[in-house]
Amino acid sequence: MERQNPLFTAFVYASALLLTAVILAPIVWLFIMSISPAADLSAKPLNWWPSEIDLSRYRTLLSAVENSAGAAFIASLVNSLQVAGMATLAAIAVAVPAAWAVSRTPAVSWSLYAVIATYMLPPVALAVPLYMGLAYFGLLNSVFGLALVYLTILAPFTTWLLKSGFDAIPREIESAAMIDGARLDQILRLLTLPLAAPVMATSALFAFLLAWDEFFYALLFTSDLRAKTLTVAIADLAGGRVSDYGLIATAGVLAALPPVLIGLVMQRALISGLTSGGVKG
Amino acid sequence: MSAVEIRNIQKRYGDVETLKGIDIVLESGEFLVLLGSSGCGKSTLLNIIAGLAEPSGGDILIGEHSVLGAHPKDRDIAMVFQSYALYPNMSVARNIGFGLEMRKVPAAEREKAVRDTAKLLQIENLLDRKPSQLSGGQRQRVAIGRALVRNPQVFLFDEPLSNLDAKLRMEMRTELKRLHQMLKTTVVYVTHDQIEAMTLATRIAVMRDGRIEQLGTPEEIYDRPATLYVAGFVGSPPMNILDAELTGRGLRIAGTEEVFPLPESLISAGAAGRRVKVGVRPEALRLATPDATGIRLTALVEVMELTGPELVTTARIGEQRITACLPPRTSLAPGSTQVFSFDEAALHLFDPDDGRSLLAK
Repeated sequence: MERQNPLFTAFVYASALLLTAVILAPIVWLFIMSISPAADLSAKPLNWWPSEIDLSRYRTLLSAVENSAGAAFIASLVNSLQVAGMATLAAIAVAVPAAWAVSRTPAVSWSLYAVIATYMLPPVALAVPLYMGLAYFGLLNSVFGLALVYLTILAPFTTWLLKSGFDAIPREIESAAMIDGARLDQILRLLTLPLAAPVMATSALFAFLLAWDEFFYALLFTSDLRAKTLTVAIADLAGGRVSDYGLIATAGVLAALPPVLIGLVMQRALISGLTSGGVKG
Repeated sequence: MSAVEIRNIQKRYGDVETLKGIDIVLESGEFLVLLGSSGCGKSTLLNIIAGLAEPSGGDILIGEHSVLGAHPKDRDIAMVFQSYALYPNMSVARNIGFGLEMRKVPAAEREKAVRDTAKLLQIENLLDRKPSQLSGGQRQRVAIGRALVRNPQVFLFDEPLSNLDAKLRMEMRTELKRLHQMLKTTVVYVTHDQIEAMTLATRIAVMRDGRIEQLGTPEEIYDRPATLYVAGFVGSPPMNILDAELTGRGLRIAGTEEVFPLPESLISAGAAGRRVKVGVRPEALRLATPDATGIRLTALVEVMELTGPELVTTARIGEQRITACLPPRTSLAPGSTQVFSFDEAALHLFDPDDGRSLLAK
């Protein structure tokens, strides 16, 4: 390393700390809210630190008693997992062949741009046609219908990410395998997909997050516990005449857990995917 | 028996003609080098032989059967790529054995073949490693091993040494030559490096703009270049090319009064007054001693560069420059006028318009 001015070093550390604080502050505040007694949250001036730790809301939301707020929350959690999971799996399944084809046949790459162009449309422009379409097929208020809608959002995005992943894998590797006598399915299964695994993991995670956080379509196309997702359920908590901010915060904390867990599990793949190019031999 | 026959191969990409009719017949055991600068079509031709690209016209025969339209795996070829194209997620052993694995060779037999090949290439101790754990030279050996293990009829090499540093490149070049002498396989080898071409080839095809400029043994290419392009491409430093004019009894270097007699054999080269290009290799030039025979040139010494084994001297004749490779201990002074001489046999004459050699074949 070069010799550095101590003032500059201090500045770098200060900037890093500031960035950390900016990123963490909302999450920390969310957590504090979720364990503060209701009185603390409505006190003036606001109590930034809870007078006592109140875990009652976690009990409320995780209780499975029928027709309780907890049952509704857990149902929406399951719905969200189903919708986001199905949409992500389908998006990857669609994107792998599409991205590979576009990456290896530059002559058809215009088609990917055409798809990306539709991706630019604001969701509100598509809301009515999608609603009528789903109604026609009887897929309103259904996790399958919502997953199908999410697929249209996720597939272009995952295809785009996977294409750049495939682009980074030298074509000569596939040519060599072809000469070695591998069939197309063997080339994909033994070489291309394993080499693209980090990028696939990255796109799956981002796709899952996108579906997990989606609110607008979920609000429009679901109406009860059979299909309502977490984002809608949290909004419902805020919709009553008396809002328990602590309860909303608790739901937020719980809603954040599954993606965080998945992210932790996939951390290694994710990091190598983000620093792509690590696939080269 | 011809191992590979290339018949009038053409390749067009839209309006661009990359290959304009290539004909080569390759005997079994030959080492053919396709030599040319980038964009001359040599890699395209190799890909067409491999089956990675289809020609727009013409035919390819391997082992006397047309392979037009045949899948690469059915052509009985193996290819070594410039980037090695090893499978990064597989061990060295599996890389080498992959072709056999795909062809459903039993595991025991496969393992023995991999081991034998690794032994031949001295990479036995690397079999369990991944390609990313290997040095450039080791990767190159694995790539060659992957081709060798299948024992194909024809080996194709696409600039295999160009990613290696200079010292390693020389080692691998010798290694390739050793392997070819030992295995006596048929090889088609693409390179832009004329030293590789000269040292490895049994025959060289010098390519330019989608055509073959000259096809011949390394000696023929070096001693009797058919065109100005070949003369300039092969040899380092490149051949001196001087503008000159035929006079009744000899040859006058343009811009000078220097006239030297034309060798008997070249008298028929053209009528007096005809403009020609004269070629002399730098290594054919020497400082003339008073009693020297051969052709003499008087030139003004400008720069001397000692490379170690030789003193590369640049001198001026009129407005034209020549380079001479002299013995390293030659004492010369920049700015001095010197007489250089060379043998009649080292003289080349080219037509300045179409670049063809005027020497009788």
